Amino acid sequence: MHKHFNEKDAASHVLEKRMEGLKEVHGTELPGHFSSATDTLRETAFVLLIISLFVSKLSYIFIIGIGWMLWRMGRSAYLGWSRLERLHKLIEQEKFEIEHHRPQEREELIALYRGKGFHGKLLEEVVDVLMADEDRLLKVMLEEELGLTLEAYEHPLKQAAGAFVGALIALIIFSLGFAINYLVGGLISSLLTIGFGAFLTAKYERNKVISSVVWNISFAILGAGFIFFLIRIING
Amino acid sequence: MKNQNLPHPFPDISSKVDIFDEFFDSGMEETISPFLTKRSRSWGKYLPLKSASIAAFLLLCSFFFKESAPLFLLFTYFFAGIPALIASLEDIFNFEINIDVLMTLAAFLSVLIGSGREGALLLVLFAFSGAMDEAVRKKAKGSLFAIKKMAPMRAYVIGDEGILTERSVKDIKVGTHIFVKAGEIIPLDGVVIAGASSVNLAHLTGENAPLFKKEGDEVVSGARNLEGALTIKVTKSSSDSTISQIIKLIMQAQAAKPRLEKFLDKVGGKYAVSIIVIAFFIAIFFPYFFSLSYLGTQGSIYRALSFLIAASPCALVIAVPIAYLSAVSICAKKGILIKGGVVLDALATCKTVALDKTGTLTKGDLNLVEIQSLNGGDANLGLALAYSLERNVIHPIAKAISNYALEKKSPLLEFTQFKSHPGYGLEATFKNKKVYIGNKDFIFSKMSRPLELQNEDLPFTLLLFGEELFIFRFKDEARPNVRKVLKNLKQKWQMRILMLTGDHSKSAAMIAKEMGIEEVYADLRPEDKLKMVDDLAKKENLAMVGDGINDAPSLARATVGISMGKKGSRTAVDASDIVLLQDNIELLEWLFKKGHDTRKIVYQNLFFALLAIIAATIPAILGIIPLWSAVLVHEGGTIIVGLNALRLLGKK
Repeated sequence: MHKHFNEKDAASHVLEKRMEGLKEVHGTELPGHFSSATDTLRETAFVLLIISLFVSKLSYIFIIGIGWMLWRMGRSAYLGWSRLERLHKLIEQEKFEIEHHRPQEREELIALYRGKGFHGKLLEEVVDVLMADEDRLLKVMLEEELGLTLEAYEHPLKQAAGAFVGALIALIIFSLGFAINYLVGGLISSLLTIGFGAFLTAKYERNKVISSVVWNISFAILGAGFIFFLIRIING
Repeated sequence: MKNQNLPHPFPDISSKVDIFDEFFDSGMEETISPFLTKRSRSWGKYLPLKSASIAAFLLLCSFFFKESAPLFLLFTYFFAGIPALIASLEDIFNFEINIDVLMTLAAFLSVLIGSGREGALLLVLFAFSGAMDEAVRKKAKGSLFAIKKMAPMRAYVIGDEGILTERSVKDIKVGTHIFVKAGEIIPLDGVVIAGASSVNLAHLTGENAPLFKKEGDEVVSGARNLEGALTIKVTKSSSDSTISQIIKLIMQAQAAKPRLEKFLDKVGGKYAVSIIVIAFFIAIFFPYFFSLSYLGTQGSIYRALSFLIAASPCALVIAVPIAYLSAVSICAKKGILIKGGVVLDALATCKTVALDKTGTLTKGDLNLVEIQSLNGGDANLGLALAYSLERNVIHPIAKAISNYALEKKSPLLEFTQFKSHPGYGLEATFKNKKVYIGNKDFIFSKMSRPLELQNEDLPFTLLLFGEELFIFRFKDEARPNVRKVLKNLKQKWQMRILMLTGDHSKSAAMIAKEMGIEEVYADLRPEDKLKMVDDLAKKENLAMVGDGINDAPSLARATVGISMGKKGSRTAVDASDIVLLQDNIELLEWLFKKGHDTRKIVYQNLFFALLAIIAATIPAILGIIPLWSAVLVHEGGTIIVGLNALRLLGKK
């Protein structure tokens, strides 16, 4: 048990590190800007629907929508940057470990590749090959130990642009519906937008489209309905 | 639907590992993060400049659309103010009060006295200043990492059964047998136990003629193995190898070098603290001394804030980077890369120029200067034979013969029974007679009666055709026009010129004479060069010009290191402050002049800017002029110094 492994064996250490890396996946395999756009599309539609329960002036709805859009854009970019900052800390730390704790990195590699079915001389050879090149080793450790994927994330600003597009589409569709009919138009356009966002995501992820669209619309109806009816009940 | 984003289960490693080098080289720049997709990386390029431009546009809008001004100012503060606020808070957290803190404080506090537009103006100027500073500074980042990467990281270890295994040099122990192919850099110091080859040590020692190495000879890491394969027994581990020692020297040199500081950075902290203290004094004590209230537009707090804004040195903040950026831009147009404007400042203070010989004063390539028949043969036939044998060989001597033959339009001859003896030479048959070309040992071994050769000053090769023996002499030629430049530096600028070289004294004296250099120090190892540069730099500021790995420690230690971009090793380029991209050493005098001009203009700007501050602050404290007038005077000064700085764009 080396101090480097926090008093654990190499295999447990690798597992722990991999769980740390998995946090980066965020449960989605969508490109950042696309994910941000479809998420913001749905959230904007839902937020506007809620606001329309209390505000009846279209211009106000539109202004609130733009404010919301700015918040979502900033938030999306910031999340991207903070993720990038964390990933950069991880890569820096892993590089340091490769340069300064070579025997421990070797043990980690042995544990990793033994788990993949390598044994004896073949295992030694695989580890030797990987240990020979520090850049290659860094890449292998990032992907195998930390479970990170290189060249997979979009720039934070591109994510923010995605949020902008999503919010803008939702705002335009909702405003059109709201302008046609204050409550019903708003409700229908909002639900259609949410359904559209769910459709795009499901299609991209190759998930069940109908199930995804229906669930997303149901969540929106449940949330909005809860607010609408509870307020009515409270107000008698 | 096509899913491009899913990672391939067996991704190609080689395409991705290169991105680490670039990423760490840049000091972990976000725009080349290995985690970002290639297509999206450009989104982060020139971000400070983009956000400063947006802020400037929005500020301009606030002047034209008066009713919506608060909205435009809100966005201006967001784009230009938030990055400044974060940086300032971090500085304060680290107990550092500087110009940045003063500027940000003034800009944000101006909102309290209803002068948000003036504050926004400060922030926009400040944002542009930061963007320009970053543009100039960017090239200087991450050199240490590049230096560490200069040595080969891997070597082929010969296993028990003769199988080659690739290993990291860090894992190779003394006594291990390694295999070095032709064309590769020798990864570790050792002794040749099998094979023969020429190795080129030009970038390590300054000697640009390849050296012949055979069994029993020592070889050093960092040398390039030219034509034969070598089996080497490792005698020094990676941490003790020659190349590691040079890396250590570079690190030591960089640590020993005093940090170059801008004048503004030196006095900025004291200035900022003084202004903030005075502002506090005005706000708290003015009502006691003068019959003033605390609040209101004539109150002490208003006056203190006016003083703070008027005393913010935005003229300096904007004018100094403009001066540096202008100078750096014009240098770039001339093919000179300056790693930070402050380098030009430092260059103006240099009183001594030390120059390396090979590759710096000379072209660094061997040229065939003479063909002599030692027993009455036809030199033209000798050249044709040598050219026909060597034309496809990658070796400095072969290259020199081919270039000369092409120039002389020498004919190509047809050979039979061509054979290569790696490390020794070549043989073939022409018109039923044997032809040999190669080193002395090789040629003499083929002769029935070897001739006596006098000690040769220049690198040479021999050709034997039947009984006819030819000698080919080579020379590294001096670069043209350098003599005149060095003379001007000495006479016009009263500079001391000296040569520091790892080459032997005879060859050094020859080039020094040609160049008009009187002070020559030859046979210097990298550590000797570093010691000399260190001693000299402690007495007076010194510029070092070099190109090789052996120059890198001295380039790193000198007040200003100048490297040759084309001929120079990557290590030298990384360790230096200025890179002559086209090896245009003849621009040295122009470069020194530009350094002096930059310094002069920076000082002029400091004077104008301080004048503007005094003209704005005193009336502001006394309440004689309103805040907007103070800012107007202030910004007037900024425009003057900005225009003055642009004069540096002149090419002369």
